[in-house]
Amino acid sequence: MSSRKGRPVRPSMRNRPHRSRSWEDPERMMEIETGRHTKLKNCCRSVATFMCTQVGVGGIIVGYAIVGAFGFMALETQDDSVADTVLKSVELARVRTADQLYSDYTEYQFNETEWIMKANVSLYAFQKDVVDAVKKGYDGRTSKEQWNFPAALMFTLSIFTMIGYGNLVPRTEWGKVITIFYAVFGIPLYILYFMNMGKALASIFKWMYIKLNSCNVVPQDEGGGTGQGSSSYRSRSGDEEDDDETIIVPSSASIYVLFSYICVGTIMFAEWEGWEYLDSVYFCVTSLCKIGLGDFVPDHYILLGTNIDESEEGNQTKLVINFIYLLLGLGLVAMCYNLLKEEVLAKMKQLKTDVKDVFHYVRHECTCADCK
Amino acid sequence: MSDLEYEQNLWPRIKSAFRVLVAFTFSHVGVCGLVVGYIICGAFLFQMMESHEVEPMLKEVRQLREETAEKLLSIVLKSNTLEEEEFFRLANVAIQNYTYEIVNAISDGYDGEPKPKPLNWTKKADSIDRKEMPWSFTGGFLYSLTVITTIGYGNYAPKTAQGKAMTILYGIIGMPLFLLYLSNIGDILARGFKWTFSRCCQCNWTFIKRRRIDENGEVIEEPAQEEEEQITVPISLCLTLMVGYIWGGGLLFAEWEKWSVLDASYFCFISLSTIGFGDLVPGEAVAAESLEDAIQYSFVFCSLYLLLGMALIAMCFNLMQEEVIAKVRVCGRRLGCAR
Repeated sequence: MSSRKGRPVRPSMRNRPHRSRSWEDPERMMEIETGRHTKLKNCCRSVATFMCTQVGVGGIIVGYAIVGAFGFMALETQDDSVADTVLKSVELARVRTADQLYSDYTEYQFNETEWIMKANVSLYAFQKDVVDAVKKGYDGRTSKEQWNFPAALMFTLSIFTMIGYGNLVPRTEWGKVITIFYAVFGIPLYILYFMNMGKALASIFKWMYIKLNSCNVVPQDEGGGTGQGSSSYRSRSGDEEDDDETIIVPSSASIYVLFSYICVGTIMFAEWEGWEYLDSVYFCVTSLCKIGLGDFVPDHYILLGTNIDESEEGNQTKLVINFIYLLLGLGLVAMCYNLLKEEVLAKMKQLKTDVKDVFHYVRHECTCADCK
Repeated sequence: MSDLEYEQNLWPRIKSAFRVLVAFTFSHVGVCGLVVGYIICGAFLFQMMESHEVEPMLKEVRQLREETAEKLLSIVLKSNTLEEEEFFRLANVAIQNYTYEIVNAISDGYDGEPKPKPLNWTKKADSIDRKEMPWSFTGGFLYSLTVITTIGYGNYAPKTAQGKAMTILYGIIGMPLFLLYLSNIGDILARGFKWTFSRCCQCNWTFIKRRRIDENGEVIEEPAQEEEEQITVPISLCLTLMVGYIWGGGLLFAEWEKWSVLDASYFCFISLSTIGFGDLVPGEAVAAESLEDAIQYSFVFCSLYLLLGMALIAMCFNLMQEEVIAKVRVCGRRLGCAR
């Protein structure tokens, strides 16, 4: 639906550069003056539709994520949740181990080596319990501490973007069932956002690219220079109809944009989280590629024994910023995908004709040589 | 003259040979082979880069345990007056710290001691079989697969710098390759499925044709082939197929890994939608029984299930897209008629 609504956006985008260019033509000034009112109206309308579609879809996505976050928070923080029982079991194991140590102590009171061996055995048993508990999701927090709002928001984001970090997962049965349904509805919605965002960003980027290009070219023209740029500009403005169709943003430009976005993210996360730069790049790339290994997650909770509560506030804003970073970044990836696809298709067409020409030429040469 | 003829025939022949070669590399078998070969290469690479990183981690945890034991001993010696309360308090603190250390070690990649050998503590056993390392060949295979399919379970993750850099490069090259595989295999599966479907419906076929003629009131002789092109598989069938595949996989994994059916279906769904949380990963339950071969088999089975399943889902999307487009076209035609 909204992808179809998005279509009227493009003509207006296309018109803008011509309009700015035609300012230089005195003959056209009159025409523009008369048509300005309707054009302004059209422009307003297209801007309105633009806001409706792109921002609308973005809003739906964000709303869906927030609703999901509250839903999962409610589901996973019930009284008998798995995280809490695991927490209790670890507590129990610790008390049991201490008991064991004490009874060992009373038994082997003054035989140190013997006691250390016994302690090691009981510690090993305890360690195994802890490893099992960690595999079941133990990280020293109750379910309410685990499922705070930003974490739940990241969880819902990781579902419908198909990243799937897996640092926070549903443990209850209902949580799992709801996750499946949440994904079934969320993923198409996200794909809609992805397509929409990709198209819009691509057209904006293209427009900016063209504008920048023409800005560079125009002064040369006025200066009377007959360089390469001005001639190409003239030839381009000659057939204005399919002007934009033929201009293809080079892949290097879109890749630079993506690269700089990853760089910004890298520096941001490296500064905040105290990661190394390689780790930070690794996180950004695996997230934006939707792999989401989940070994690095911003504010991945690591037990330090103390100062659990201190950094809670800062972490939550970080998680929200991370949410925005990812959502925007995925849109940017979609943009690059769109632009690259366009370019690759054009290149393929070119290659096809080239190869055909080469074969034709070679065959021609060969037959000529044979004739002689 | 024969030479000339030969020369003249040579170019088309080279051309066609070249074309065949290119077509083959991009054909179904070629792409399949390419993807599998790429994954195998990745498995070897990651295995090479990551295997030796496990041993220090085991040593570290062992050292931690011994330190904790020493600390406990010192506590015992200090509280020689045998105040039970005091001892429990101090011991609890020490063990709590030890718990934190273990949890941190696990988040750094420690994955439990392979095969407990009790009563060997004093020996400080250093010999760990290479087989028991987490980055076995099949583990590397599954890891490579999860990277290029963008599932990313994260139960195995690279710990070394070169492993991480390699993952980035490997993913950037591998993902387009896998997309190629998906579109290619999805296409051929869709065509095959459509063909089978149209054959199955052949008996109904003539009936549909006649009805159409009646409706229009005039005889339209449409060639059979064109009709066949227009056959679209109903969306409900595609959905049933996908749900059936996930449910069937759920039953299989439930049997194999001793999960509950809900857990197994959840695993299949999370994997095939490329979310890949990694909270449930094949091989864990079998690992508890410490049957090395069984783990390998379960990894191979999982890889096959994923590769096939993703192609199947691509096929279903292919067919559904076609159906939707056809529906829209029919709608448009009807609207046009109404006007």
